[in-house]
Amino acid sequence: MNVIEVKELEKTYYVGDIEVKALRGVTFDIQKSQFSAIMGPSGSGKSTLMHIIGCLDTPSKGEYNLNGENVAKMSDDQLAKIRNKEIGFVFQKFHLLPRNTALENVMLPLKYANIGRLERSEKAKEALAQVGLSDRIDHKPSELSGGQQQRVAIARALVNSPAILFADEPTGNLDSKTGEEVMTLLHKLNNNGQTIVLITHEKDIAVQTQRTIFIRDGKIESDTIN
Amino acid sequence: MLAEESLTSAFDAIKANLLRSILTALAIIIGTAAVIALVSIGGSAQKAIENSISDMGSQVLSVVPGQKEKNGVKSAFIPLKLGDVRALENEKNISWKIAPEMRGNKQVKYISENANLPIVGTTSDYFSIYGIEVNQGNVFTENDLINGKKVAIIGSDVAKELGTNKKDLLFKNIVIGDSSYRVIGIAEPKGSGGWDNPDERIFVPVITASERIFGRIWINMIVVKSAGEFSLPQVMIAIERILRRTHDISPGEDNDFRVYDWSEVKQLQKETTNILTTMIAGIASISLLVGGIGVMNIMLVSVTERTREIGLRKALGATQQDILIQFIVEAILLCIIGGLIGVVLGSAIYFSIASYQEWPIVMPLSAIIGSVTFSALVGLFFGIWPARRAAKLDPAVALLYE
Repeated sequence: MNVIEVKELEKTYYVGDIEVKALRGVTFDIQKSQFSAIMGPSGSGKSTLMHIIGCLDTPSKGEYNLNGENVAKMSDDQLAKIRNKEIGFVFQKFHLLPRNTALENVMLPLKYANIGRLERSEKAKEALAQVGLSDRIDHKPSELSGGQQQRVAIARALVNSPAILFADEPTGNLDSKTGEEVMTLLHKLNNNGQTIVLITHEKDIAVQTQRTIFIRDGKIESDTIN
Repeated sequence: MLAEESLTSAFDAIKANLLRSILTALAIIIGTAAVIALVSIGGSAQKAIENSISDMGSQVLSVVPGQKEKNGVKSAFIPLKLGDVRALENEKNISWKIAPEMRGNKQVKYISENANLPIVGTTSDYFSIYGIEVNQGNVFTENDLINGKKVAIIGSDVAKELGTNKKDLLFKNIVIGDSSYRVIGIAEPKGSGGWDNPDERIFVPVITASERIFGRIWINMIVVKSAGEFSLPQVMIAIERILRRTHDISPGEDNDFRVYDWSEVKQLQKETTNILTTMIAGIASISLLVGGIGVMNIMLVSVTERTREIGLRKALGATQQDILIQFIVEAILLCIIGGLIGVVLGSAIYFSIASYQEWPIVMPLSAIIGSVTFSALVGLFFGIWPARRAAKLDPAVALLYE
């Protein structure tokens, strides 16, 4: 079964009067439980692609089915709901709320899903256990190491049991050892059936996944099984 | 999103920039404090005046001296005399109570203590007109009044002024001016109303006051109370008719005296205070508006500062409405906190002034509720625009904001 089906995706920006074609017809599918990497140099359009398949942005043209639902023409509110239920994000800079504890950070998506307090805290603790941080739930981001912060962010991405997890340069801000730990964690999650899309510009990282989609100039240049 | 999350995140944001939040709320604090303090002070002043007017008794008319006006030129005040009182008393068609008031301050002595106290020359009707109970001793007898005996009825605080107890003074002699007077009665306390303390007065028969104490025949005031079925306007017309005849005023000429209905004065006073209070509240609300602009300014800064947080919240599933509510709640909370601090500050200012001035305490709940509600509305109004800006942020762009 395909979690993501993208057909002839196009995205055109206007910077003042200048037309920028960030995506020029991208087509691919991602199967359930697949661990794939989207790779490309900066300016290749990989960020735009991630924003669109992450439902943070809508395409100018083309089709996009996420978990069987056509999301290309959805309204802002519908997209917010999709992001909340179906998508988990992991960012290069963690993006944790600095004044909240690890537990509170992980509970945040559940609050937007209107889940009650008890269930919220239960699910968040479960997610933190999955990333091995059960003993750090009351720590604030400033009291955690970079690797721990990224693991909190991963727990936050997992807490709504999303159909797909997007990791945007998840090791970009970490030293190589903690980077490896984060990659190990992602592999473990994938082994448990989690579909993951990794966005990176590092070949070393990309080859650790099952499949590499290489983007250049807004088009897929290559799509290889590793 | 749950209301609880909006509130906690709003509290967090305000706490995170505590100094900035307080400075932002300062105009709101000052505005609310001004409203609370000034409206309460206005209430106190009104209450004090109302008290002193109700001391005079409603349904009581006062006749005071006035001026004659001829060809636009005003003459000197035409005094009221005891003859005027007698003329009113001789009217048999109307049942009313009439009492003169001849008033002045004199040095009063008892043994070695002395005090400067108001002396009121009057008749026994004075007590029933004002509802003053003489609960120890007696009121003046016919003999006292007609012959101008040297007797006095004292207010309940007079004894204290003279350094002794009430009981001790009854049927003793006190010295008013240079001769001594026998205290024949003590009035029950009436309580202070504002300008003067009625309990410090010493009452003597009006003839005594005229011949022995002040040496004059003009009186300060005549007080009249309708005793029967006559209404105040009817009584007023009767007073005018009789006094115009006594004062020999020809038809078409103006009165040379004035008749006051204290309930009218009370109404006028109330209206004046209301106008003042409204004006004060208006001025203070300008301060609240200025505060609102400050809040808007800071909220705009806050939205810019927290662009990435907004992007993140949206990425995690916050709708535009969630973000809108979050920032509006923050603005409203900031204003409500400011408003509450203002209420506390304003009340403190008011209480310290009121206790210093010994005013009756009047804390208008409506002013408290009104000013806090108005603060909240200011927050809502000035919070909407920054909140809309936050809500409209493009999550993809906001996430990348440095």
